[in-house]
Amino acid sequence: MNWTRYLRTWEFALVVLLVVEILILGMINPTFLNAENLLYATLDFTHILFAALPLTLVIITAGIDISSVSVMGLASITLGLAWVAGINIFVALAIALLVGIIAGLFNGFFVAKTDVNPLVITLGTLFMFAGIAQGMPALLDLLGFKAYGSAGLAAYQYEGITGLPDSFIGLSEATVWIIPYPFIAVLIFAVILSLLLHKTRFGRYLYLIGVNPKAAVYSGVPVQKTLIWAYVLSGFGAALAGSYLTAYFTSARADLGGDALLPIITAVVLGGADILGGSGTIWGTLLAGLVLGFLRQGLLAIGVTNDLIQVVMGAVLVTAMAVKQLMNVYGEYRLNRKALANKERG
Amino acid sequence: MRIWENAMKSADSANANKPPGNVMLELRNVWKVFAGVPVLKGINFTLAEGEIHALLGGNGSGKSTTMKIISGAYQLDDGEIRLYGKPVKLDSPKVAHDAGIYMVPQEPHVFPHLSVLENLGIGLDFSPAELRTRVEPLLESLGFHADLEEEAAFLSIAQQQLLEIVRGLLRNARVLIFDEPTSALTFRETEQLFERMRRLAAQGIGLIFISHRLGEVMEIADRVSVLRDGVMVLDEPVGNITPHDLVRAMLPESSDNVTGEEKRERLEPGEVVLEVENLHSEAFSDASFKLRAGEVLGLAGLVGSGRTELSEAIVGIDKHAHGLVKIGGTALNNRSPSICQQHGLVYVPEDRHAHGIFLDLPSVYTITAGILDRLGKWFLSSEAERSIGERFVDAMNIKLTSIWQIAGTLSGGNQQKVVLAKALAGEPRVVILDEPTRGIDASARQDVYRLIRELTRQGVAILLISSELEEVVDLSDRVLVMYRGRLTEELTGDDINLERVTEASFGLTAEVPA
Amino acid sequence: MKKFLRSREALITGLLILLILFTGLFNSNIFKFNSITEIFNASLTLVLISLGEMFVIFTRGIDVSVGATTGLAAVILGTTLNLGWPIEWAISAAIVTGILAGMVNAVGITFLRVPPIIMTLGTLGIYRGLMRIITGGSWIENLPQSIKEPNLWKFAGIPFYVWLTLLVIAITAWITLKYKPARYFYAVGDNEQGAYILGIPVRLTLFAAYTLAGFFAALAAVVFTSQIGFVSMNAADGFELKAIAANVLGGVSLTGGIGTPLGAAIGALFMTAVHSMLIFLGVPGIWDNAFAGVILLTVVYIDYHVRSALELQRRQARIRGDASLKGGES
Repeated sequence: MNWTRYLRTWEFALVVLLVVEILILGMINPTFLNAENLLYATLDFTHILFAALPLTLVIITAGIDISSVSVMGLASITLGLAWVAGINIFVALAIALLVGIIAGLFNGFFVAKTDVNPLVITLGTLFMFAGIAQGMPALLDLLGFKAYGSAGLAAYQYEGITGLPDSFIGLSEATVWIIPYPFIAVLIFAVILSLLLHKTRFGRYLYLIGVNPKAAVYSGVPVQKTLIWAYVLSGFGAALAGSYLTAYFTSARADLGGDALLPIITAVVLGGADILGGSGTIWGTLLAGLVLGFLRQGLLAIGVTNDLIQVVMGAVLVTAMAVKQLMNVYGEYRLNRKALANKERG
Repeated sequence: MRIWENAMKSADSANANKPPGNVMLELRNVWKVFAGVPVLKGINFTLAEGEIHALLGGNGSGKSTTMKIISGAYQLDDGEIRLYGKPVKLDSPKVAHDAGIYMVPQEPHVFPHLSVLENLGIGLDFSPAELRTRVEPLLESLGFHADLEEEAAFLSIAQQQLLEIVRGLLRNARVLIFDEPTSALTFRETEQLFERMRRLAAQGIGLIFISHRLGEVMEIADRVSVLRDGVMVLDEPVGNITPHDLVRAMLPESSDNVTGEEKRERLEPGEVVLEVENLHSEAFSDASFKLRAGEVLGLAGLVGSGRTELSEAIVGIDKHAHGLVKIGGTALNNRSPSICQQHGLVYVPEDRHAHGIFLDLPSVYTITAGILDRLGKWFLSSEAERSIGERFVDAMNIKLTSIWQIAGTLSGGNQQKVVLAKALAGEPRVVILDEPTRGIDASARQDVYRLIRELTRQGVAILLISSELEEVVDLSDRVLVMYRGRLTEELTGDDINLERVTEASFGLTAEVPA
Repeated sequence: MKKFLRSREALITGLLILLILFTGLFNSNIFKFNSITEIFNASLTLVLISLGEMFVIFTRGIDVSVGATTGLAAVILGTTLNLGWPIEWAISAAIVTGILAGMVNAVGITFLRVPPIIMTLGTLGIYRGLMRIITGGSWIENLPQSIKEPNLWKFAGIPFYVWLTLLVIAITAWITLKYKPARYFYAVGDNEQGAYILGIPVRLTLFAAYTLAGFFAALAAVVFTSQIGFVSMNAADGFELKAIAANVLGGVSLTGGIGTPLGAAIGALFMTAVHSMLIFLGVPGIWDNAFAGVILLTVVYIDYHVRSALELQRRQARIRGDASLKGGES
């Protein structure tokens, strides 16, 4: 295989974009050229990466999961309430992740067993999971867990659950050499997902389903099982994101991650996944997530307001897609011209 | 070839002494390229007033593309179209309609949730009342009976086709294109359609008739053209040619036997590997048969007779069918394609693009789609995948630059071979082939026939479903004929000939169920 | 009539009535005239947004920026009013803003060929950001009385805006049923390829659908601002998702080509009514979302089974129809 092949991939373009971006930001503010600062900056958007990476798998199947932003809050409040109930914080973390998996199972079953548009299903669960997350403290009170404080668990409704142990909170800040734990977790997660996607049967099934679901059925691909697993992974990633945010903000809240939908989907789409299914890579999503995350950090650093950043992010998403579409049209046009030019010889 | 000779006679009488009218439509040196692959390579074509001009060719030959260019759905890449001698640019179907060109497509464009009346009038500027007054006589003359207020989703295929014809007539079309209009029609419906076509021609309308049925072409057309691989290889008045000329024009190698080989001697049939007993669904009933190792069982019948539905029921794609299916002696009640595959039965579907191939992915991904569990326990070995892929590419003579070439950029014949490779990769004992040669060129066809023979030599049992009756006759050891959802006849030995199979397919020999 | 009884509109209306009756078992105050009109009054913003979204969904598209468009239009309305513009000019400015916002989506989707979900997700961010940039992030308060006044008007005991919305629904319903180009929305969603072949201006139809979504979102902004009396920075936040849910509830299928304005409006009324019911039942508002989600999922699940059964029936009918046609030859 010729190595120049890699120079023409979308991932390589993203690497170039990332480097150029960091250099430009570095010219404006030299602190950006410090690796430690850069790595530290990732803490601000690690949750986006946790959720976006497995969402790539779902989007490859031509599906979508917009409920992940609610699963974040659900996982967070679960973690907090379990801890308040006296459960060891790491067991609580495991419960929170399990809740994410169950949420994913619910989505996955619904998507796999019916022909209802995944957008509608996860829109429904987006409301449902958010509602459960908001209502859970009060529900536990109703169920007789009144023992915790005079106002009951419902007191945690609005201010969130704080005072989580340092052993947990510290995870979000600890580093190996200069690399933060959460970023290491992102890399491990990306490696696992990438192996799953590109090296296993399951991963191949995802592409086959995304390109031609009917042919997948006719070829004996276990379509339903594969879809369920994809949504389970998405739920798990969202729970990971919610748990991370809990540690990062040192508070468990039902509404964590509510505004993350736009950056999550932007990362996946900018990473090269086609919203219509059949294409996308984990490394593309990771790189796109970093490009977007640093862009945000850089704009903040040079004094751009959060509001304007939101406008920029939206514009980046739309422009990237428009350019991609127009390049496709142009690519085909060129190919056809070439074939016509060769017609005398052909 | 009796049907052709009959057709010849009627063609002679129908076309006798008919002077050609003025040339209304002319295509000059037209090119069309898709994704870098030329589909039309400089074709010429003319249509005169009152003429019925047939266009023949396999599905990959470019005839549908030609018609889409004439009807404005596609734009040509080079060359020109002239209407009454003047160059025109048909930028969109709307422009073509305004120029008096309308295509009755093979797959009618139906809006399932709009009413029949709205379906008829869509894109036209009539008020509902005006539309109704215009539509009703047309419906009457075409014998189209349907509730105009009902949702169009309930129309049958034949009614949908009539709907398209009415749309063309409402637009006062001067050029009407019929894209394989008879493929889903019965004998009588076909006759009625031909009668209507003759009447339209008598009014000076030019008709382009696309078909792959030679008998029909000889019967209805004044002039016939043949496209092969994007090149016009024949263009003659019908009186000047014989059906054999047409066959020769379509096949590069001239051969009277479709499969190019003498009938092979029968092998001793092996054990029963597929047993179907009393299988029924809403599309067919009481299907029972046995298939033995090393046997080719042909399943003949018209489009819509229930053949495809039967095979989909056997492999468990249609879950609503009831009855007994035994594969290799094991009764399987809850079937799915993957369960059937595990028991050694694979199905190669009729619609290659919709159900067979993964167009946007490397070709090898399609080949290995059913056997990924053999490419390693945990991780897929790209080495193993490559060796399997290359083995099939060699064995089946698939033409591609590398096994990683995107399947969508292969020619139709090679795509079909890739789909066949996928089915065979699992080393099945029973293969159901549904229209395995539809729309592929002659040499790919020969490869498919060779493959079928090779498989039976290895003891694989084959259920061959095909509308090409010659193919069924030449390849099968035994032939079942399906007519209106029933297996009406079983032919063996010398009874397997074109006449018997044709008659049975049209229900002429079997008793017709009430 | 029989057709109506089997329709989604009937199903959802029935469910709504059941819900009201059930609530009434526990709290009969809900049967009071004022309670009922209040439920209607509270649903108007969502009804209007949903009507706009409906056109987009007809064409098999999706617009997740409508909530942000409402917010942006409301900001323009509030800002211009506080600048001292006459109310007609301010309202016109808000409406133009909505139309422009819809046209931006339309350009991206029809000309640049960006998939609708991506395009409108992008503009969701852009419009929300613009809202805050225009106001500097603070709420718009102290609006002139002229904008708040209409909210107090009543005719026959029913608030002016309820009448207005009913009128809008009626006009929309009449147009989608009788005005031919409006049928193009259905045709494009039903069979885009066929629509193009038959000479329907597909791109123009798509363009109109997204523009209408923006227009209705702006209309909602006017009602919303007038009712609330101020513009917060999270005005109409999340309404895009609620509008989609309302449409799906009301039988406007995301697969395109199906649905009616009445269905979309009742769906939106239902979404809002759930909130009011919970208040009457004394359930804390935090359960709103959970109920909305469960109801949406239940309805689409039931609908899936109904459709499957209907599809089977249709298939059988078609095969029988073919058989009887073929029977004619013998």
